[in-house]
Amino acid sequence: MSATCEFQAKDYKSDLKPIWCPGCGDYSVVQGIYRALAAIGRPPHEVAFISGIGCSSRIPGYTTAYGFNTVHGRALPIAQGIKLANPDLLVLAAGGDGDGFSIGGGHIAHLIRRNIDITYIVMDNQIYGLTKGQLSPTSQKGRTTCTSPYGSLENPVNPLLYTLAYGAGFVAQASPTDLAGMAAIIEEAIRYPGFAFVNVQSPCVTYGEEAQQIKGLKAISASLKELGHDPADRLAAMDLAQHYGEKMHLGVFYRNPEPPPTYDALIRERQVQLSQGALPKERILDLFIKK
Amino acid sequence: MAARIDFASLTLKDALDLAVLIEDEAKERYEDFAAQMDQHRTPEAAKFFRLMAVNEAKHGQELAERRGQLFGDAPRTVTRAQIFDVEAPDFDEARAFMSPRQAMKAALASEVKAQAFFVAALPALKDAKVRALFEELRDEEVEHQALVKAELAKLPPDSGLSDDDFVDEPAAQ
Repeated sequence: MSATCEFQAKDYKSDLKPIWCPGCGDYSVVQGIYRALAAIGRPPHEVAFISGIGCSSRIPGYTTAYGFNTVHGRALPIAQGIKLANPDLLVLAAGGDGDGFSIGGGHIAHLIRRNIDITYIVMDNQIYGLTKGQLSPTSQKGRTTCTSPYGSLENPVNPLLYTLAYGAGFVAQASPTDLAGMAAIIEEAIRYPGFAFVNVQSPCVTYGEEAQQIKGLKAISASLKELGHDPADRLAAMDLAQHYGEKMHLGVFYRNPEPPPTYDALIRERQVQLSQGALPKERILDLFIKK
Repeated sequence: MAARIDFASLTLKDALDLAVLIEDEAKERYEDFAAQMDQHRTPEAAKFFRLMAVNEAKHGQELAERRGQLFGDAPRTVTRAQIFDVEAPDFDEARAFMSPRQAMKAALASEVKAQAFFVAALPALKDAKVRALFEELRDEEVEHQALVKAELAKLPPDSGLSDDDFVDEPAAQ
């Protein structure tokens, strides 16, 4: 680790120009990530950024970190493999609400229960934007899209309650209405020793509804800090998280004050234990040869 | 955000530093918008946003020089985290296929927003020099609005097309 080097946000910005729609909320998310990484100060080659498929999943390409734009919904399993293979890497995973809570919805629970030291940033725009505006798992009930022409009959997934209920040690929400706040939340999530989830309300300017654009989000936003919320209180966090879709609470909902050991740390510990009684490499075949 | 600044205890050095940060943020946002327009082949809007970025950089430089003359290399104690979108347009002000008129209207709205920021801060200021600076900055925002309005007046009449004319209709899957 190059702890003596100081990095600036621009050091994490790649030469690749984003092709998101002008005005997309994801432009601010990538800025927030640059700032958070600069504050953390790990050099880009010590960071791996993994994503699935979707508009927001293009994000690793816009950073100078190692990146892997994987398959739909599979950012988390691949990020997990990377973290276990090289625990010294700072591993970030990102994607949209569809990638995270529909196609890849089954993976989150397992990363949370294993408590792998990964920061997962979901750019939640309540729509499948890349494929031209279909209903997504976080779309509001009644929402009219090309796949719900008479209005959606489904209740949305609540990403905050979902992750809190599975026992995530760090759950937060941010939005482009407060870039500095978003950068600070992402930084805090990265610094949390364990699985950290950040839901970013990132408006889709092309297929999103007016109320979900920045002006609409500003109107329903409230700072958890200013509300006096104690991020160590998990039940209070769950209570506040129930307002997802009506209010936009920004800040840290829950941070486990006593983070349990991470899966990657436990694996390393077990490797050390087992290696004590293990055969030397040159005798490894003895395990398979009957004498 | 204004709430993050303690206006009552703001010194002239901090006020000048904040003003420089505000100009820097606006410059960067206009550069981002120009890059977005380039990427989406909207060169006229890109050209205007680039012009705004140059103007913001010029104002920032002037304020930085003034700060340097008054306070030399004294360390800066205010940070970027204390300001957000004061003079920079909101992230979602950019739109695909923006006309120069739309680009100018976005810039005008930002100048109005910046003026409102300085006006709102005035009653809380205690230091007379800081107050004078904020009044000066407020008046400059009014001048900038006049400049953008003058550019708007030079444009040919609006085509009457809206953003929706350029959005693909959702297709059945």
